[in-house]
Amino acid sequence: PDVRADDGDPAGDSWGIFTFLCAALCNLPALPALNCSEELGAGQSIQQTYDLTRYLEHQLRTLAGTYLNYLGPPFNEPDFNPPRMARAERVPSATVDLDLWRGLTDNARLAANYRAYSRLLCYLRVLDGQVGTAELRHRLSHFCASLQGLVLSIGGVMSSLGYPLPAGPVGPPGPPGASAAPNDFLKKMDDFWLLKELQTWLWRSAKDFNRLKKKVPPAVVTLRLEARGF
Amino acid sequence: MWKNSSLRCLLALAILCLRSLIYSQEIGSLGDPQNLKCVTHNLQKMLCTWDVSSRGRRGQTDFCYTTNDLTPQVCFKTKERRVEIPIPESSITVTIKSSGTATKEFVIHQKDISFVPITPHILSLMPDFPTSTLNLKWSDNGSVFPYGLDALWQIQILRKEPMEVVTQVTYYSKLTHEDVILSWNWTSDMPLECTSHYVKIRCYINATQFVGSKDWSDWSPTEVIPGKDTEPGESGVFPLDPVVAVGSDLTFCCVHEEDQRITNMTYGSKSYTMMQLSSRSHAIRVLNANVSNSSGTNVVCRLENAWEGSVVFVGYAPDTPQNLSCETPNFLIIKCTWKPGRPSGLYGERRTKYSLFERTSGRNVSCEVSGLNKDHVCDFPVLPAQKTYDFILGVSNPIGQAKSSLLVDITQRVHPKTPEKLTVTENNSTSIQLRWFINGSFAEIRLLCQLEISSSHSERKLNVSTPGRKSSTYTAQVNELHPHTKYQFRVRCSDADHFWRWSDWSRGVEQTTSEAPPARGPDIWRERSPSGENVIVFWKPLSPSESNGIIVSHEVSCYLLDMLLEHKVVLEPSNSTEIKLGKSDCVISVVARNNAGSSPPSRITSVELPSDNVTTDQAVAVGNGINISWDSYPNMTCGYIVKWCHSSGSEPCSVDWQKFPSNTTSVVIKSALFKPGVRYNFSLYGCKSMGYQLLKNVTGYMKELPPKTAPNFIVEETSSDSILVKWEDIPIEECRGFFKRISSFLCKGEKDALKPRLSESGNPELKVNNITDLTKKSMKILDLQGKTSYQLELQAYTAGGLSPPNSLYVVTKEDSVGLIIAILIPVAVVVLLGVLASIFCYRKREWIKETFYPEIPNPENSKALQFQRNICEGNKTLKTLEMNPCTPNSVEVVETQSTAPKIEDTEMMSPAAETTVPEDGSESEMENHVVVSYCPPIIEEEISNPPTDEPGGSSQVVYIDIQSMYQPQIKPEEEPEIDLVTTAGYKPQMQLSISALKIEGHSPVEEELDKTAGYRPQANTNAWNMGTPDSPGSVESNNENASFGSPCSINSRQFLLPPKDDEDSPKPINTAWSFTHFFQNKPND
Repeated sequence: PDVRADDGDPAGDSWGIFTFLCAALCNLPALPALNCSEELGAGQSIQQTYDLTRYLEHQLRTLAGTYLNYLGPPFNEPDFNPPRMARAERVPSATVDLDLWRGLTDNARLAANYRAYSRLLCYLRVLDGQVGTAELRHRLSHFCASLQGLVLSIGGVMSSLGYPLPAGPVGPPGPPGASAAPNDFLKKMDDFWLLKELQTWLWRSAKDFNRLKKKVPPAVVTLRLEARGF
Repeated sequence: MWKNSSLRCLLALAILCLRSLIYSQEIGSLGDPQNLKCVTHNLQKMLCTWDVSSRGRRGQTDFCYTTNDLTPQVCFKTKERRVEIPIPESSITVTIKSSGTATKEFVIHQKDISFVPITPHILSLMPDFPTSTLNLKWSDNGSVFPYGLDALWQIQILRKEPMEVVTQVTYYSKLTHEDVILSWNWTSDMPLECTSHYVKIRCYINATQFVGSKDWSDWSPTEVIPGKDTEPGESGVFPLDPVVAVGSDLTFCCVHEEDQRITNMTYGSKSYTMMQLSSRSHAIRVLNANVSNSSGTNVVCRLENAWEGSVVFVGYAPDTPQNLSCETPNFLIIKCTWKPGRPSGLYGERRTKYSLFERTSGRNVSCEVSGLNKDHVCDFPVLPAQKTYDFILGVSNPIGQAKSSLLVDITQRVHPKTPEKLTVTENNSTSIQLRWFINGSFAEIRLLCQLEISSSHSERKLNVSTPGRKSSTYTAQVNELHPHTKYQFRVRCSDADHFWRWSDWSRGVEQTTSEAPPARGPDIWRERSPSGENVIVFWKPLSPSESNGIIVSHEVSCYLLDMLLEHKVVLEPSNSTEIKLGKSDCVISVVARNNAGSSPPSRITSVELPSDNVTTDQAVAVGNGINISWDSYPNMTCGYIVKWCHSSGSEPCSVDWQKFPSNTTSVVIKSALFKPGVRYNFSLYGCKSMGYQLLKNVTGYMKELPPKTAPNFIVEETSSDSILVKWEDIPIEECRGFFKRISSFLCKGEKDALKPRLSESGNPELKVNNITDLTKKSMKILDLQGKTSYQLELQAYTAGGLSPPNSLYVVTKEDSVGLIIAILIPVAVVVLLGVLASIFCYRKREWIKETFYPEIPNPENSKALQFQRNICEGNKTLKTLEMNPCTPNSVEVVETQSTAPKIEDTEMMSPAAETTVPEDGSESEMENHVVVSYCPPIIEEEISNPPTDEPGGSSQVVYIDIQSMYQPQIKPEEEPEIDLVTTAGYKPQMQLSISALKIEGHSPVEEELDKTAGYRPQANTNAWNMGTPDSPGSVESNNENASFGSPCSINSRQFLLPPKDDEDSPKPINTAWSFTHFFQNKPND
C-alpha cells in the first residue's frame, strides 16, 4: 500500500495538471470571442440533423416499398393495417400523444428521439442479418449506416445544447435469440411495425428539429455556454 | 375389408341366436339355467355364461362338467353365473344345478364355442406435430395363446366435431407366443394442431385350427391427441413455418378463440374457401404449391380484430452437385468446386447447405458458399502425408439431400496460384533475367513455368522446369533477345510431372533491350555522275533487326590501295553521297553507326569495266514482278547486280538495286513502288574482281496501258490525189507501254460536221493504214480525190490498248485539167447558141416586130386593163374585202357632238391628255361611249365614200378588249368607277411615243406609225372621227350593242387608214386616253 501510495502521488499530480489543461482547452471555445463558432455549430448541427432526417424519410420510403414486397402479401397491400399486437410492443413506439409530446422539454424530446433511434437501429441490424436477398441486404445496411449517422447527429445536437446523453442501456433489447419472434409470420409482423415506427419517428423528428431550429436562438446558447464555461 | 368384417359380425350374431334357440328347446322349461354360452379369448380356456330365471338367481349353483366318459366329472359350486373351464377337444357335458331349480345338462361341442380375442389396449399414442405424424403402440398379447397365430389389427382414426372416421387401416402381425409391442405410424394430411385426432384399435385372430366361430375383439378405448383448438387461449395458423417440396398439397388451419369470427384465409395473395373443423378451427387446402418467394409465402388468417399467420417455404430438394472438381493451389488447401444445379428456392436458414467429407481421414468440413457465384467453392485442408482424398460432397436442405463423390490425388491436381512480383533484370543487350514469386508449398513437385516473350513483331514461349520450393522466388534467364527491342514478359506455371492446369498469367512487365552495334554493313551501290568526275554512293537502310539500334550516321571512305582518299560522315536520313574522284577509281567502304558502335564495313569498287554490245530488251511484268533474264557470263565471278530507277524520267532518280549470285541467269524484280504504265530502265551489271561491267539494259513496264495521247502529226504535202503525213514521237511518259503500231484513218469529211471517231464509224469509204515499222515517221496516202476535204485520224497502239485519236482535216488540191475543160465547154456552147439566135433573129426580124411591137396596139389584148377590171369585180384574193357573213365588230363610237360644250370638254381634257399620257397607255375609258357595230365591208364603203359633210365629227371609235367589254354588259351603270379602274382597256402592241400622240394627225405621225411594226389603229383615231358619225345607230346603240373586237381588226387598219384628211380633225385624237385621264386625274376640271 505504501509503495502504491508513493506511486500514486506523482501520478495524481500529473493527472491534476492534465485535467486542468483539459479543462482549459475545453473552455477555450466558451470564450466570448469564440462563441460565434459554437453558436453556428449548434445551429448547423440542428439543421444538418433536420436534413438527415428528411433524407432518411425519403430513403425509407423506397426501402419500405422494396422490403414490404419482399415480405409478400398481405404486407405489401396498401390496406394492410393490422392492430398492433402485444408482441409488436418490442419495437419502440412513437404513439405518444402529440399534445403530450409537445408538452415535453426539448431535452426530453431529444432524449426520446435518441433512445428510439438507438433501439430501432438495433432491430434494423437484426433485420439486415436475416434478409435472404443480397440486394435488399445491401440497401438495408446502407440505411442502417444512415440511421447510425442520425443517432450520432442527435447526440451531437444534444451535446451542443448542453444536454446529457440519455444514460442506460441503449443496446439491443436482450439477446437476439430470446427476443426473436416465435415464428416467421410474427417476425414479418415485427419487421412491418419496425418500418412503420421508423416512418412515424422520422416524421416526428423532422417536426421536432424544425421547431428546434426556430426555437433555440443563438443568444440563449451563448449565455448557457458562458455559464458552463465560467 | 370393413364390409367383410361387419358381414362376419352379423353372421356370428345370427348363429348365436339360432343356437340359443336350439338350447332353449333342448333345455326346457322356464326358470332353469338356459342360454349357456361359451367364449374363449385364448383358445385354452373358455368362459361359459348362462341365464337363469329370477328364482334361481340367489344362492349357489352346482356346476359340473366332464369331457368324456373316461374322465371323472369335475364339480364345483359357484355363486356367479359364469365359469371358466378348459376347452374340450371335441365336446364337453355340463351339468348346472341352481338352487331351487332342476338340474340342467348341456353338451357343448367345440364348434359351439366363440373365439373373441382380448380387447387390445393402446400403450401409447405419440404425436409428432412438425411432421403431423401419429405413432401408435400396443401389445399383441401373444403370450396368452398356446401357439403362433396370424393377427389382424384394425385401427381407426377419427377427427372433427362430431367425429368422422378419417381412415381405417388393417395391420397384420404374427403372434409368437410372447407379448410383442407393435408400433404403427400414420401421417395426417391435416396438421395435428388443427383439431383433435382420435385413435382406436381392435383385433381379429385367424386361428385356423379352431372350428368354432371367430370374431373381432371389441374396440380399444379411444386415445386422443388434442388439437390446439381444445387448449384455451391458443390461436394461430398451423402448421407453423413448414418447409415443403414444390407440388405438395398443403392443409392449413386457423385456430382462434371461440368468440372470434374468422373473416378469410389467404395463401399468398389468394383467398381460399374454408372448411370448419371445429368451433375454433377452420382449414384451407392448397393444392400443388409453387415455389415461394425468398421470404416465404404467407398464410394469413384474418380474424375480426386480429391477424394470425404462418409462413410456408416451398422449394426443391437440392440438386446433385455437378462437375465436382478438386485441386490444390499451394499444397496447403484443396479447393473443390462444383455447380449447384437447380436453385432450391429456399433462403436464409433453410438454404441448401454443403459439407465436404473426406472418407479416408473421416474429416468433415462444412462449406460456406455464397449464392452469388455460379460455381461453389469449398476449401479442405491438405492433411499431412495424405495424397489421395476421397471426397463426398453432401448437400442438404430441409426438403432433401444429395451427394456427389470424387476420388482425387492432389499431386496430380496442382493448379498453382498466379505468379507475382515479376521483375526483369537486363544482363546485356540480348539477355535478361526474370524473377517471380509463387505462394505455396511446392517442395514435393517440380514446377513447369512458361515464359511468354513478345515484341511488336514476334511472340515466343519458353518453358522452364524448376524444382518447386516453399513460397519462394524463381528465376529464369532469357537469351537470344534482339537488341534495342521492346519486350513484354509474363509467366505462368503448372505441375511439371502431372500437368493439370496452368496458373493464370502473371501481370506483364516490359523491358527494352539496350542497343548493340549494327549487325552488318549496309547494302551499297555506286554510280558515276553524268559528268564522270564524281561517284555517287548509295546505300540501303538496315532493317530494324539488323540495325540493333537507331542508326545515327553512315561513314563513307574511299581507299586506293589502303590509302584513304576521302572520308565522309553522312548523317541520317540521307542514303547517298557524292565523292569527288576525278577519273581515278577507289574502293568505297560504307559503315553504319548507331549509339552502340559501328557495323562491319560494306565495300564496293568504283571501277566500271568497259562493255560492248549492250543490248536493250523489253520486258513486261508477268505476275507481280518484271522478269529479267540473261545468258550466263562465266567470267562474272562475284554475281550480278540489277539496278534500276524508281522513275522513268531522267536523273536524278531514286536508285535501287538488287544483287544476285553468279549462277543466276534469270530474276524477277519486284517492288511495291512499281506502277503500271511507267517505264523502268533496268541495267544488268556483272561483277568481276576488277569491277562491274554493264551487260544489258532492259526497259520494262509493270503493266502496259494505252498511250495517253496520239502522236502529233502534220500534213507536209498535199496534191490533188495524195497527202504526205509526218508525225512526232510520243513522249515516253505518255506512251505507257511499248508501241505496237500507228494507225491512220482517212475519210471524206467536212471540218464542222460532228462525227464519231473514224475508227468507230464503220464508214465504208474509210481508209485505214497501219504502220508497224515504228522507225518510219511519215506516210503518204494515195488515191485521193482532188479538192476534197478529208478527215485524218492517227492513233497509237500499245499492248495496253489504243490511244485517243488525233484528228486533222485536209483538203486536196484541185485537178487543173478537169477544171479547164469544165469551163471551156459551157463557154463554147453559149457562144454557139448566141450565134445561132442572132442568125435566126436576123432572118425573122419582120415577124417579130409584127408580133411583139405592132405600131397600133389592140386594146383587147391589153393585159394591164384586164388586170384593172379584176380589181373592180372584187378580187377573190383580197380577203379583207370579202363579204363574209357579218360578224359585228364592236366599234365604240364616242359621241362628241358638234355642240360646243362637248368640244369644250374635249378641249379641256386634251391638255390633260397631253400632259398625262400614261406610259403604258393601258387605261381606257368606257363611260360615255357609243358602241358601233360595224362590218369591214360597210366600213369599206364608208372609206370609199369618205364623208365630207361633217369633217369635224368628233365621234370616236375606241377599241376595247374582250375582257373589258364584258363588264359593262353585266353591270353597266352600277360600277362605273370600278370599271374605270379594272378595265385594262386596249393595250397597244406598240409603245407609242408621247410625242407621236400629241401630234394631231400630222403626216409625220403616219410615217412613224408606218415604221412601227404591229398594230397601230389608235394612232389613227382621227380617221375614225370621220367615219363613225355617219352610222345612224351610233348614238342609240350606246352600250347596248357592245360587241367584241372584230377578228378583222388588224385588217381594219387597211381601211381605217385613209390617205389623208387628218388636218380636218384637229383635236379629238386620243380621246380614249384623254377620257381616262380626265376622269382619273382631273375630275374637277
